[in-house]
Amino acid sequence: MATYVQQLLEGKIDFEGQKLVERISRDTLIAATAISFIAGFATQSLRVTFGLFALFVIVLSAAVIPPWPMYNRHPVKWLPVKESKAE
Amino acid sequence: MFADELKTLRRLGVRHVLLQVLNFVSVLASGLMIWKGLGLVTNTESPIVVVLSGSMEPAFYRGDLLFLTNPTDARYQTGDITVYKIPGADIPIVHRVLETHDFPPNNKGAVAASPLVQKQYLLTKGDNNAIDDIELYQGLEWLERKHIVGKVRGFLPYVGYVTIAMNDFPQLKYALLGGLGLLALIQRE
Amino acid sequence: MHTVYSRINNVSAMLSTCVMVLLAAISISSYFLVADPKGSIAVSSIQVFPGNARRYANKNQDFAFVNFNVTADLSPLFNWNTKQLFLYVSAEYENKRGVKNEVVIWDRIVRRKEDAQLSVAGRNKYAFRELSTSFKGAAPAHYTLKYNVMPYVGVLTYGEAARTADPVPFPERQELS
Repeated sequence: MATYVQQLLEGKIDFEGQKLVERISRDTLIAATAISFIAGFATQSLRVTFGLFALFVIVLSAAVIPPWPMYNRHPVKWLPVKESKAE
Repeated sequence: MFADELKTLRRLGVRHVLLQVLNFVSVLASGLMIWKGLGLVTNTESPIVVVLSGSMEPAFYRGDLLFLTNPTDARYQTGDITVYKIPGADIPIVHRVLETHDFPPNNKGAVAASPLVQKQYLLTKGDNNAIDDIELYQGLEWLERKHIVGKVRGFLPYVGYVTIAMNDFPQLKYALLGGLGLLALIQRE
Repeated sequence: MHTVYSRINNVSAMLSTCVMVLLAAISISSYFLVADPKGSIAVSSIQVFPGNARRYANKNQDFAFVNFNVTADLSPLFNWNTKQLFLYVSAEYENKRGVKNEVVIWDRIVRRKEDAQLSVAGRNKYAFRELSTSFKGAAPAHYTLKYNVMPYVGVLTYGEAARTADPVPFPERQELS
């Protein structure tokens, strides 16, 4: 039980998952900046800009921070343990 | 608690520790260079200030960041928001110019050596105050150019609240500095 | 990115860069939303009375009392980045010693676009006094309505919305009866 909680808190994800997370967060943040700026400029309201941006950030955090199982689809293939040579 | 880190440090040797310290110091030095360089370009001793009082509300609240310049060739006009320091008071005050009085240059036939500031007398007032600042001048009747640190050109809200928090809670300041220092020395990358 | 902590770290770093870019974009957008509204200002009456200087009770000083009418529609100045508008009426004149003076006699803070239609018949809020204590010999003054646009983020801008067409002379000092 304790190790399960520790694993959850550590939140490890495999390398493919890390690449995915990097891509998702970078693309989402760039899109969020552009979209919230354009939406705010069109409605001439700063509230719209920052509201939209905050929404994007919250959704992104929920999608990327916790270690969802989809980031663990390509676990690292460890080599089999070599028998240690007897002394 | 630090047994692991101390062992690592001892393994890596004195050279490594010195390198870390040098890295740390060069980061501080470049920060200082940028700050002083900015001060030279804008001709003011503190080009970025944090608003400390509420006397300019609702325009500026405590914790807002202000960007200043101090152009040598332009005269100050009414409506400019200036930051000034009264000799004898250590905190600068951010208020708006209410009156300007420009004295004619004392040429006596000669051409002025530089277009630098003519003598100006200024009176200021905070937007949120009912009366002008004469009480704050500590005996002076008017502000002169030499008391002015700079004129507010740009504005960034909220960002400066960190400095106010650190002033009001000095433990926070020491904790932050201590933590950063420790991190910089222990980090291996 | 391998632990929750490092993911939070990385995402916050990217986030703060994006916020800085957003703020810079907002402040730059103000340059493209320029407006130059104009209005009108006229002085309806002006009187000069003697009085006591505020600090030194024995010092005699001239005070001018100005009644003015000012109208202007300043709503074009309100865009998404406008936090408030600071309006001020000031008098510009040169006194007999050659000193150029500019004195703010009235101001107002406008925080909403709806309040930006200005139509005021007012008098000076602040004491209008002369540096040399007497208005005698001073050149006629121009009265102007100026504004200062304060943004949510970015550069402060100034402008002049109205100016009296002809300069207004200072009357003789009236004695208090």
